[in-house]
Amino acid sequence: MTRILALAVSVLMAAAPAAMAADGKALVESNKCGSCHQMAGPAVKTIAEVLKRKAPDLFYAGSKFNKDWLVKYIQSPTTLRPGGVVYLNSLTTEGEADVVKNPPKCASKLSAGDAAAVADYLMTLKDASMKVGVFKKMKKVKKARARVVMMKDEACNACHQFPKKGGGISCPTFEGIGERLNPDWMYSFIQDPQHWDPKVWMAKRDFDDATLQLMVNYLMTAD
Amino acid sequence: MIMKRFASIAFAGMLAAGFLAQADTAAAKEKAIDNYNLYCVQCHGTKGTGRGINAPALSVQPRNHASAKDMESLTDASVAKAIKEGGIAVAKSTQMPPFGGILSDEEIADMVKHLRVMCKCEGKK
Repeated sequence: MTRILALAVSVLMAAAPAAMAADGKALVESNKCGSCHQMAGPAVKTIAEVLKRKAPDLFYAGSKFNKDWLVKYIQSPTTLRPGGVVYLNSLTTEGEADVVKNPPKCASKLSAGDAAAVADYLMTLKDASMKVGVFKKMKKVKKARARVVMMKDEACNACHQFPKKGGGISCPTFEGIGERLNPDWMYSFIQDPQHWDPKVWMAKRDFDDATLQLMVNYLMTAD
Repeated sequence: MIMKRFASIAFAGMLAAGFLAQADTAAAKEKAIDNYNLYCVQCHGTKGTGRGINAPALSVQPRNHASAKDMESLTDASVAKAIKEGGIAVAKSTQMPPFGGILSDEEIADMVKHLRVMCKCEGKK
C-alpha cells in the first residue's frame, strides 16, 4: 500500500509542471494575449508585417526573459519601449521634429497566481537553436571600458536609454535589463538581432566574444 | 515503369521544395522608402530633416537629408559607404550605425537614389 501511495505521489509530482503550464496556456488564450503578441513562430519577415505588430513577439519568451521578472511584469506592466513597440506607429510631427504620442501599453493585470502560471507557460516557449551557457559572468566588470564601447564606439545610447544617463527612445530601455532578460539571449540578440526579428531596426555588427561578454556583463549590472 | 515515373516525379517535387525553402530564407528586397522609414527615420526624422525621436539624445545632429546644401557636398559612393559601413567609415559619427548587415547592396543603391529625391539634388562628382 505504501509503495502504491509513493508511486501515486511521484506520478502526481511529475504531472504538476505540465498541468501548471497548461493552466498558463489557458490563461494566455482566455486573456487574448495573442491578439497583440505573436505567440507562434516564425517571426515576420517583411516591413509591412512589422508595421502591423502591436506587441513584442512571445514565441521565444522562455529564451528571452527571466521568469521572476515576467511574474512581476504580467501583474503590473511598465513601459519598456518609450517609443512604442514599433516606434514608427507612434510618431507624430511637431514643427520639424518627430515626437512620440501615446505608445500602446500592455493591458495585462493578472493576479499573482495567474501571473505565475502564465510565466511558467511562457518559459516553455523557447528557441531551441539558441546556445545556452554562453554568458560568462565576470568577477569584476570593466564598466568604464564597457561605457566607451557602448556609448562611444557603438553608440548604443543613440537608440536605447541607459540608467541615469538617458539615450534614444526608438528601442527598449536598458533600465532594469539585467533583471528582465536572460543574459544568453542578450548575447545572442546583440550578436545577430535579425535572427530573432528579421526586420528589427538594430544594425548587425561583427562583435567578438570578448566584446559581447563585456557588453552583456555591463548590462547585467547597469543600474 | 510506374515505379520509375513515380521516382522522377518525387525527385522533381524534392527539387521544387528545395527551391521554395531556399526562397523562403532569402530576405525579400524592400522598397527604399520603406527601408528609410524603418531604419533611418528614428534619427533622421519623418521629414528627413535630422529631427527624429532619437535626435535629442545624439551628440551630433543627424544629417538633414532634405537639404540640398548638406547633401550635394557628398558623393553617391560616400553616402552608400556610410549606409553600409557606418559613419565611422567616412570619418563621421559612430552614431550612424552600419546597415550592411541588414540591407543588400541593391537596397543601399536604391536608398542613395531615394536620398537624392529627398534632397532634390545630385551628388558631388
